[in-house]
Amino acid sequence: MRSEQETIRAIEQYSDTVRRLCAVHLKNDADTEDIFQTVFLKYVLSSVSFESDEHEKAWLIRVTINACKDLLKNFSRSHTVSLDTIIEQPSRLPEDYRDVWEAVFSLPQKYRDVVYLHYFEDYTAPQISRIIGKNVNTVYTLLNRSKQMLREKLGGGYEYE
Amino acid sequence: MNDTFKKLFSPIQAEEALKDRTKEFLAEKTQRYIGVRVGKRKHCLYAAVCACLLLMLLGGRWVYFTPITAISIDINPSIEMGINRFGQVVSVDGFNEEGRELSSTLNVKYKNYTYAIEQILNDNNIAALLSENEIMTITVIGPDGQQSAKILSGVEACMTERGNAYCYFATSEEVAAAHESGLSCGKYRAFLELRLLDPDITPEMVRDMTMREIRELIDSLSDGGQIDTSSFDNRGNGHHGHGGGHGNRRRNGRAEQ
Repeated sequence: MRSEQETIRAIEQYSDTVRRLCAVHLKNDADTEDIFQTVFLKYVLSSVSFESDEHEKAWLIRVTINACKDLLKNFSRSHTVSLDTIIEQPSRLPEDYRDVWEAVFSLPQKYRDVVYLHYFEDYTAPQISRIIGKNVNTVYTLLNRSKQMLREKLGGGYEYE
Repeated sequence: MNDTFKKLFSPIQAEEALKDRTKEFLAEKTQRYIGVRVGKRKHCLYAAVCACLLLMLLGGRWVYFTPITAISIDINPSIEMGINRFGQVVSVDGFNEEGRELSSTLNVKYKNYTYAIEQILNDNNIAALLSENEIMTITVIGPDGQQSAKILSGVEACMTERGNAYCYFATSEEVAAAHESGLSCGKYRAFLELRLLDPDITPEMVRDMTMREIRELIDSLSDGGQIDTSSFDNRGNGHHGHGGGHGNRRRNGRAEQ
């Protein structure tokens, strides 16, 4: 088990990343808090020895994505959130980017991870493939299709490369 | 687009309240970060309990299967039964061909020793030998303690109604010497007695003789007779002369210590 000091350091260092990934997938604060706590509990109990900060961050990203997917596998949960709840999330965002947020959130779930990891965390396709455990070509395909879908939703006002 | 996404996601941050609740949640779940260590202690405790159970199991097995007393029965079949501390037969060994044959037909393992002796006495060959006035010696071998005395007493009780039977007690040291000579304990004791009268006697000479033959040989030599060595070439055939009594041994269940 990891020490309290190590755990608090990890929370301070990676909590925003975990929180954003939750935001990409989940539609309410209760689920977000549930996953947030689950991820760090797994971290505390894990005996994985991290080679570097990047390794540690990649591990937390993978655990968060998997935890979100597990939560969303519950059919009823994924189908009982109202539209009001969905638009509650972007209210914390800058007003100028609400349309971008809605466009991202309207993407199928499998595209949202790669969009976030590529455009915000600046991971390359090979790095993303290692983190999410998918083929590099699959990641390229997911990125291309997501760009295409975002372009369709947001128009040509953005640079998509 | 990268810049757009930076601006989009940057404002999303883990709230301090969320982090605080998470820290408290983790502290609670880990019993203030000792929970898993407690779990490890539990595992150690389980391991210790399992080890104790295993030791008890192995110890119990050892206690049950370790003979602490032996009963050596000689008539001509010579067999020895290992008796555990519960008075049950845990091994049966034949010390000559007839003994091995007899031990292979007996079904006395894990039975009480008195039952085993009854089975042996009821064996057709043994019963026939006894009816022909052959001599049976039964030696209880073990530490000079309560259990040996109890078994000896039990053996004597079994032999009360039988003629030509002698019961002895012997120590483990005697048994070791007997086994080294390839003889069962009762026969070894008779061999020692015989050797006092004739130092040239070897264990091989008496191995296949009946107890009666040995006894008669002892009686003969005690009376100043000579050994007819030709009798050893026809082991087990005929007698070696008759002598007097059997010294201070007691017949029919009376022990000689």
